Amino acid sequence: MEEIKEEINAAKEEMEALTIEEAFARLDTMIEALEDRGISLEDSFRIYQEGMNLLKMCNEKIDRVEKKILVINGEGGLDEF
Amino acid sequence: MQKVYSVGQINAYIRNMFDQDFVLNRIGICGEVSNCKYHTSGHIYFSLKDESGSIACVMFAGARKGLAFRLNNGQQVIVRGSISVYERTGSYQMYAKEISLDGAGFLYEKYLALKQELEDMGMFAAEYKQPLPFYAERLGVVTAPTGAAIRDIITVSTRRNPWIQIILYPALVQGQGSARSIAEGIRALDKAGVDVMIVGRGGGSIEDLWAFNEKIVAQAIFECRTPVISAVGHETDTTIADFVADLRAPTPSAAAELAVADVRELLGQMELYRDQLKRAMGFCLEDCRQRLLHSRMRLDHASPSQRLNSGRQRLMELENRLRERMQAEIREQRHRVGIYVEKLRGLSPLDKLSAGYGFVTDDSGKRIYSTDQAGPGDLLNIYISDGLIRARVEEIIPETADGKIGS
Repeated sequence: MEEIKEEINAAKEEMEALTIEEAFARLDTMIEALEDRGISLEDSFRIYQEGMNLLKMCNEKIDRVEKKILVINGEGGLDEF
Repeated sequence: MQKVYSVGQINAYIRNMFDQDFVLNRIGICGEVSNCKYHTSGHIYFSLKDESGSIACVMFAGARKGLAFRLNNGQQVIVRGSISVYERTGSYQMYAKEISLDGAGFLYEKYLALKQELEDMGMFAAEYKQPLPFYAERLGVVTAPTGAAIRDIITVSTRRNPWIQIILYPALVQGQGSARSIAEGIRALDKAGVDVMIVGRGGGSIEDLWAFNEKIVAQAIFECRTPVISAVGHETDTTIADFVADLRAPTPSAAAELAVADVRELLGQMELYRDQLKRAMGFCLEDCRQRLLHSRMRLDHASPSQRLNSGRQRLMELENRLRERMQAEIREQRHRVGIYVEKLRGLSPLDKLSAGYGFVTDDSGKRIYSTDQAGPGDLLNIYISDGLIRARVEEIIPETADGKIGS
């Protein structure tokens, strides 16, 4: 049980390290695999779940906070524009 | 005899000719500086030359405000002033009132030289070009804090992604110290950490854009670990910075388009992925459901109850066939009986009796079919259609050989 948990956490961490571009590339492969007629039901469920997790992760990566434009000075300090 | 003049008279005469000349009084000449001497008196003596020849020039101390830089041999300059005669040596020379660097000519040569130098160093090589990030969260901008360039970049960037973090390094983009300022800006933003950087300014003359042709700017772009997009002037202006940058944008607006991902497009793509996943999963499930249904049908087909049912049905069919066959047989036999009845009816002795024939027996009821069976005095029974006649034999007359009843 502990092992499985660790495995899931590792997979999650690995997923979170992906950029949106890499996640998109994975999604392309996943959808292709899912559209293959020969896939088993177990595999299709697993891929579907992973794909949905990836999308959730991508969604979380898009920071939806409006930001002030900052100005950097010679010393590296930041001020509002 | 011809009139003879003194040297002074001739020189004065020629000088007068020069001074009267409208063109020579206000003229600009371009050429390369040589033999340049700054005299202790403040006058500057030099020559202007090109491939075809040279002309002596002097700039008097009183005209020095027309020179904004230190004149050096080899510089390409434009000298404005007048041409007149120096009577002491009997030579004509240029009296400079204003000297400027020949922008187009001089700067262009400098540009070409630096471009060649950096190209030889491999600074423009494709293998050093860094790819732009697919989705940038932090955009660095090195440009003037005022002016169209930064406005355009902000407008386009926030239109494509309203949540983008823009960090501006307000740089001097023209004039003294601008190249240093731009280079410092690139380094500061690289250090602060941004996903992508735009370095540039709006349009201007070649002199205005010059900072972007300086080696220190090229060096800073080259060494920058963050991908750099150059956006200097208009589409037609190409600077050294454009060659070193990871990507060249024709304008600051275009640079922002390249640097910042369209977030709506991104979200749309994610929506599309979600739909595709769901649809593909739906197909998988439907496929399994179909297979299940098919298996169930096959199983049902092979089940004992199914076999029992089919046996039962066969039995019913056989029963029906048997019953039908039996009924057909009965119908046929009935028909045949009818035919026999008709036939028998034709043969019935009773019918014959009704036509006037009689049936004769002896007294014991035995049928009489020969004359030998009766003798005179015997009692006979004659059956006719409506009853019995009892009669006594009078005479026996047998049939003769020729078939006639005897006399």
